[in-house]
Amino acid sequence: MSTAAGGPAGGGISATNVAILGIVGGLAGIYLSTILNGITETTYFSFFGGIGAILAGVWGADAVRRVCSYGLGTGVPSIGMVALGMGIVAAIFGLALCYVLGIPVVLGPIIAIVVAAIIGFIMGTMANKILSMNIPIMERCMVEIAVAGCLVMIALCVTISGTLVFENSILNTDITILSSVIQTGFIALIFIGGAMIILHPFNACLGPDESQDRTLYVGVEKGGIIMAITGVASLVVIDVIPAMLTIVIGLLIWIIYFKKFINLTKRDAYKVIGTGLLPTEEELQ
Amino acid sequence: MTDPIIIDMGIVALTGALATIGGAAEDLESDVGSQSNPNSQVQLAAQMDFPHRIFNKAISGEPPAYGLWCASSAVVASVMLAKGMSVLFALAVGSLVGAILLGMFAVTAHMGRTASQSRFKQPLYMDMVVGHVPAIIAHGYIAVFCIVSFSYIMNAIMGHPFPLPLLALFWGVTAGAIGSSTGDVHYGAEREFQNQPFGCGLNASYSGNIVRKGEAGLRNGMDNVWACAKFGGPVTGLALGLTVFLDNWRSTIFTGANAEWFAIIAGLIIVVILILLNRYVEVDGRNAYGPYKEEEEGGAPA
Repeated sequence: MSTAAGGPAGGGISATNVAILGIVGGLAGIYLSTILNGITETTYFSFFGGIGAILAGVWGADAVRRVCSYGLGTGVPSIGMVALGMGIVAAIFGLALCYVLGIPVVLGPIIAIVVAAIIGFIMGTMANKILSMNIPIMERCMVEIAVAGCLVMIALCVTISGTLVFENSILNTDITILSSVIQTGFIALIFIGGAMIILHPFNACLGPDESQDRTLYVGVEKGGIIMAITGVASLVVIDVIPAMLTIVIGLLIWIIYFKKFINLTKRDAYKVIGTGLLPTEEELQ
Repeated sequence: MTDPIIIDMGIVALTGALATIGGAAEDLESDVGSQSNPNSQVQLAAQMDFPHRIFNKAISGEPPAYGLWCASSAVVASVMLAKGMSVLFALAVGSLVGAILLGMFAVTAHMGRTASQSRFKQPLYMDMVVGHVPAIIAHGYIAVFCIVSFSYIMNAIMGHPFPLPLLALFWGVTAGAIGSSTGDVHYGAEREFQNQPFGCGLNASYSGNIVRKGEAGLRNGMDNVWACAKFGGPVTGLALGLTVFLDNWRSTIFTGANAEWFAIIAGLIIVVILILLNRYVEVDGRNAYGPYKEEEEGGAPA
């Protein structure tokens, strides 16, 4: 009930540009990480996965912001959880399909985002047609959130494992997503942490004077923290130095964007004061 | 020699006790920050020309939020355990990370929401951020430590097949859901509207008109947690404690007796008994108090 105005959300960066940033950034993070790790036969480049997760998460947060500005105040968490629910199914399906069919693992993320987009479109159509939510951009936003959720999931998996290999019988490598992410239970952090990158920013900044840059900075900042914690998880999977790289870069992103968020809060707030009484009747007029 | 079932029942009791403390702390943490049920009215207050000094924090739904704190704590604890550190140390440090994470989310949630209400002239008081966030972290630490601890006991001692982070996620979500639906109602329905006659319900015209002044000075999250600690917090603890205890009790006692199927039947019986008890309490409450009668009470609305 406590929502921003029921209409399209404005903002400096267009929806298409954020989507391009999310898809290209997310995929670049995943592929840079796995390809560079493969070429150098190390795990030093796993942190690129975390950066990809942040970019895809920002895209997802922007999509949540656009769809939720149509009056979905208390529906913000539900949208985020639906997105990651779709994302996790599609991500595991895409990566596992490469193992089952014996096709190159680099195709995994592409298959996953196609599946996520299809599920997202079905969910969006159901919400609009069957539940009669009648939000004009519902289908598009559900596709965007699902694909962004899927990319965040895969990127965070890659941050922990440093590889896209789902099971080890293909390339006979020791570290796989199944052994390092799913069996260890770290998938729990990826699922809920990825959801928070996508759905916390708009929830945190909800209100009639919400602004796109401030909301998306929260997304980057929260992505930085989740990246650092996935770095901690990767300490038991990959070497200590690559894991520390992920932790340090994640913490740096968090500090930089937290400061930026504070500055924008000072810009947008009515008044930032140390302490004081409530505004007087005259002041409220 | 002690019968193994006695040791097992002691462990079950320990998980129940941890869940009771954790549940209470979970609800009180959300009361400090006005999360979940009470939040919509706190958010609405400024928009209805009632600026306030109550901490406004909505992270993204209490269950997923608690899932995140508990899963992160469990991940850090698992890593430390895998590196050979002691259990208590790993759980304590893991919970600290989870609690600090909660604090960081609370800061962005409060500052972001307040800044998004600038047209209603709601100021952002920095002393509130500095004063409330440590209390949120402290309550959150107790809650997360308890939840991750009984998740660890289930995983390591009771032999649950799921890994620790996954168990902690599930129990975190459960704790958040119970806190959100049980204890927060005490704050949202009663404490926020103490200026209205008891039991009058929330008329739409009172929306956002929450109590903003305390016994001395302006009311804040600390005053609210003080009030909610008398009923909302303990009752949440009881609900989570009973959930964990009854669940573990039935699986432990029937698995110990090699009668696993009876555990499922016992679970169904417990659910039926709880539904009947809930129905009895509801009907009894309606019969005892009935619908609110404004004129018979003789009290004019505030």
